[in-house]
Amino acid sequence: MNALVAWFDSMATNVFILPAVLVILFLALVPLFLSLYVSLTRLSFGQGSFVLTFVGLDNYAKLLVGIDHVHFLGLWADPSPIGWLVLGLVILAFAWWLIRYVRGGEFAVGGLVGRIVVASVVTVLVWIMVQTIANSGRPGTVGVTLIYVFVDMFFQYMIGLGLAMLCIQHIPGRRFFRVVFLLPMMITPVGVAYTFRMLADTYKGPFYPVWIALGLGGTSWADNAWGARIAVMVGDIWQWTPFMFIVLLAALESQSIEEVEAAVVDGANQWQIFWSITLPSILPVSTTLILIRMIEAFKIIDLPNVLTNGGPGTATESMSLHAYTLWRVLDVGGSAAIAYMLLILVTFSAMSFVNLVRTRAQAVI
Amino acid sequence: MKRLITLSSLVMIAALLLAACAPAAAPTAPPPVQVIVTQPPVVQTVVVPQTVVAPQTVVAQQTVVVPATAVPVGTQFKGITVNVLTFTGPQIAEPLQRRAPDFERLTGAKINVIVVPFSDLYQKILTDHAAGTNSYDAYVLSPQWMADFVGAGVLEDLTARINADKDLQWDDVAPFFRNFSANYGGKLYTVPLDGDFEMVYYRKDILTKDGVKPPETWDDYLAIAKQYQGKPLAPGGKPIYGSCISKKRAAQGFQMFWSIVGPFLQSQGTKEGSFFDTTSMKPLVMNAGMARALDIYKESTKYGPPDELNLDVGDTRSLFDTGRCVLSLDWGDIGTLSVDPANAVPDVINNVGSIIDPGTKQVVDPTNRVTGALVNCDSTTCPNAVNGVNHAPYAAFGGWSAAINKDAKPDVKNAAYAFFSYVSQPAQSSVDVTIGRTGFNPYRLSHFANLGPWLHSGMNQAMAQDYLGAIQASLQSPNMILDMRVPQTQYYQQVALDQALAQFLAGEITRDQAMKQINDAWESKTNELGRDKQLAAYQGSLSITK
Amino acid sequence: MTLFRPRYRSINTPAPLGMVLTYIILGIWAFVVLFPLYWLVVTSVKLPLDVNRGPVYIPFVDFQPSPHAWIYIFTDLRNDTVRPYINTVVVSLTSTALALTMGGAAAYALTRFTYRPKLGTILTFLACALLAFVALFFGVPWQLAVVAAIAVFILLLQTIAKRFKRSMGNNDIAFWMISQRILPPVAVVIPIYLIYQRLGLLDTWAALIITYVAANLPIVVWLMRDYFQTIPLELEECAAIDGASRYRTFWSIVLPLSLPGLVATFLFVLVFAWNEYLFALFLTGANSQTLPLTIAAQNATRGPQWWYMSVLILIMIIPVIAMAIILERYIARGLLVGAIKG
Repeated sequence: MNALVAWFDSMATNVFILPAVLVILFLALVPLFLSLYVSLTRLSFGQGSFVLTFVGLDNYAKLLVGIDHVHFLGLWADPSPIGWLVLGLVILAFAWWLIRYVRGGEFAVGGLVGRIVVASVVTVLVWIMVQTIANSGRPGTVGVTLIYVFVDMFFQYMIGLGLAMLCIQHIPGRRFFRVVFLLPMMITPVGVAYTFRMLADTYKGPFYPVWIALGLGGTSWADNAWGARIAVMVGDIWQWTPFMFIVLLAALESQSIEEVEAAVVDGANQWQIFWSITLPSILPVSTTLILIRMIEAFKIIDLPNVLTNGGPGTATESMSLHAYTLWRVLDVGGSAAIAYMLLILVTFSAMSFVNLVRTRAQAVI
Repeated sequence: MKRLITLSSLVMIAALLLAACAPAAAPTAPPPVQVIVTQPPVVQTVVVPQTVVAPQTVVAQQTVVVPATAVPVGTQFKGITVNVLTFTGPQIAEPLQRRAPDFERLTGAKINVIVVPFSDLYQKILTDHAAGTNSYDAYVLSPQWMADFVGAGVLEDLTARINADKDLQWDDVAPFFRNFSANYGGKLYTVPLDGDFEMVYYRKDILTKDGVKPPETWDDYLAIAKQYQGKPLAPGGKPIYGSCISKKRAAQGFQMFWSIVGPFLQSQGTKEGSFFDTTSMKPLVMNAGMARALDIYKESTKYGPPDELNLDVGDTRSLFDTGRCVLSLDWGDIGTLSVDPANAVPDVINNVGSIIDPGTKQVVDPTNRVTGALVNCDSTTCPNAVNGVNHAPYAAFGGWSAAINKDAKPDVKNAAYAFFSYVSQPAQSSVDVTIGRTGFNPYRLSHFANLGPWLHSGMNQAMAQDYLGAIQASLQSPNMILDMRVPQTQYYQQVALDQALAQFLAGEITRDQAMKQINDAWESKTNELGRDKQLAAYQGSLSITK
Repeated sequence: MTLFRPRYRSINTPAPLGMVLTYIILGIWAFVVLFPLYWLVVTSVKLPLDVNRGPVYIPFVDFQPSPHAWIYIFTDLRNDTVRPYINTVVVSLTSTALALTMGGAAAYALTRFTYRPKLGTILTFLACALLAFVALFFGVPWQLAVVAAIAVFILLLQTIAKRFKRSMGNNDIAFWMISQRILPPVAVVIPIYLIYQRLGLLDTWAALIITYVAANLPIVVWLMRDYFQTIPLELEECAAIDGASRYRTFWSIVLPLSLPGLVATFLFVLVFAWNEYLFALFLTGANSQTLPLTIAAQNATRGPQWWYMSVLILIMIIPVIAMAIILERYIARGLLVGAIKG
């Protein structure tokens, strides 16, 4: 008996981790590979069963060069002068970064190749964005998704940080605020989407008098591409700011007080304390937080789906919505292909972020 | 590392042993996935039954047919539960849920109405059946989906049952629904429960005050909308909108559009079809009629609410019922909703006129509808014209209909059929169609005979006659448009057509680009699925015989 | 003059002007958060006409409230409301509990033990798992598929796997787990549907519970790992010296110390499971439908029924909000105290 117990105890290392590993393996990784296969097929129905016909890269071709590529990648036009400027700056920045790496102390071929890949992909993405955001261009679902992710995350972080900094002060009623600010995250995303649709409705929504007062009675956000996108982004920011807020709040609360007290004694002012003590201490948390939120943000679907169904035209359609639309008519191959492109995009972003930003953040402390 | 292996192997073997000892949980071997590695396109030839549609003379099947009884009595289906799948109500689901207990009392069968979001109904049915799960015994679905479902073996052939069922009063069902909607390839697969087609509604009080006649053509429609757009006629003196048409993407916009383009494309009767050429399966898109219709569609936006591009049919309906539109295009719901004080403002109640879908005085040359020009209406080009106007009432969706899962148990099938027959019978359906909330619109000739239930629902005599008159005119039109039903109809309409329309309205593409986009998308899908196969299906849906 | 003093525990509350500004800003955001919820409450007691004819704000003043929506949801649709509610509760609580257990154990293991799984082993394991699933697809009974996969695995392990010497470390495992969140559900929904269908688990609680556990494990691992890292090793070393087994140490010493973190993670994961839509849409049928589906389903083909939807959203968020209020004190304390180390 003792031997069995001892053996079981020695197996602890495996017992602790195996269940999690196995579950994720079987339910996340394996379906992923199967889904890769599905993206290379087309679904049709036979008598009482379904048939997956292998079509090779046809689904991907449709998205990248074929009948759907304008919908997916966007309508490319000549960039505006600002667009050229942005592109130029990005290229210069990457060039400088690469040169610094080569000139710097530790140089590895793998590292260089990785950095070149990152630089190229990001440059291509910026180029696509710049072309599609130009007036005569139009962003495809890739472009719209990127807009959502970066704009939303920026505002969520800023607002979350601001609120967190205000909420850790010792003011009466701060507990009330902390609970209230947590609420939007608790509502099911579908529910949030419908709530915002109600709120944003031009006549039925509560802001109708506001539109009239502003003289906007005759127009509507819904038939304007950027208006619709802003509506979606407002909803998304409303819903996910609590996530940033609560994590940053915890991080701010757990700071060491001695440092700050010492700084105050030394005569540092607000801004200096924030910049030199607070910010570096929450930087690691922030980067993890941003990473997690970024991964989730790429999958945005409920708000565009419910608010505008991806309209007007295709202005608010995210990649996930694009995939969902195809999946609803049972074009599962096409849907899986888009999902895979999204996966690649997110993995690329996450890994770049982790490798480049996070390690630098750790170095700062 | 070795420990890892040993442990995982042990775990798996233990699981295996457990499974072997436990009672077999796996259901009967599900149909295997056939993975065919071929090079597309796969051209399959399908033999289409060459029968002429004549419901009275269809050959009976080998299924066990329940002898038709009057209102079923007693406990003939005791102990049987039927799972009926439809979308979340209250429309459509509510009358089913309401009548289920009555039916249970009469026959002992328990009817379970299961609902899913509307946009997911189609794929739920298909995947449930194709994967062999079969958790639903019957469905209330859109007959458009018959092309996919019959091909996939989902639907039970109801021809024999219907023929043997006297109480259903099949002849009472309007010819369009009897001969086309419930019919696919010569066989009957559904029991109609609802008559879906579009009409135009107008504010009678506003139009009669100015002596304006209700619109007969789409040009009239635009003229009226333009005339009234912005006038302070809405409650509270607010500006009124000329026309409210649902144009939201991935909603009902594409069906509204087809009401506009339909009369340009179809003039020779339902059998002519309005989507593809009946011999070559080429889309009827690159023609002058489509161009004109797109212009009309876009122009109507100018005389409507500013966010019309984001309005689905619920929004336009509520706009009309709260007195903010002069004209609207909708199914039959506005009629019954507009007399309900919980839904409509006093200005609107009993002031709503209905008229058959506006038509056109010009049609696309019937000899070349694929790329033809517009020609004037005369006795050959428009044999069904009324006052020189070719009307083509569009039976969008086709009317929610009941169908039965082919793989359900035989006694469950019988019970399901009896329930649907019960709901469809005149005694029950004539009440349901008068209640706006049910979502059921008239489809039987007897629904018009008795004005009583209509008056009871709140309509006054004039409105009831007007409303029913418009419906009757539509139902009796020999040129009603049958909604598309070919395999992957969902793609043709909801992805290809709908997206192009949304982009065109939003100004992302021009009119000609939109036409080309629709044409290319449809052609590519037709080629992908096999042109002959699609052609056969299309012809089958129109009951075209060679 | 400083607008507000540094705001840490021993330092006082801010100066009056700072207070006022603080309250204004916090008040604004509180309004932004609460107004939509208020609108939901108000819409749930409006008649369709009151919803459609233009915004009306205050019950009894602008319009007559009517309980028709609440009555419809709770009486006419009683079963169709109660059943999804129970499903949601059961599925969320169970999957959260399981996720916490497995994830907590895994997180703990990743901070205390050193793993060096060989790349070769991993790849062969993966290949064999894939093999098993493909066999499952082709209709092979799952017991047979599993045995075949094990056999192939052991075989390959002794031969090919030995060729790849490279090992992964703890951080790689952690990153892999966390990165599973990248997976867009749309990508894996069909294979998962088919797997469950073969196993006969469709439309059951089990299907959703297992799926949610898999989907939320990464979150648990991420949150708890950082937390466990802050618990000093000395306590456990003492316990080990005293003869306690690993399990005992984990259960009696580590877990109680990390209660705040556990509670915070519990709330997060519960919220994710409670609100999940896409998997529920696909994997459930009549019996196990959850509330988010019921809400989405209010968008019928003839337009959304705002009044019913409001009622459903409200009854769905009330328990979660109540829980959040009660557990709020743990959240701030519980999160990422140790995350400074990254």
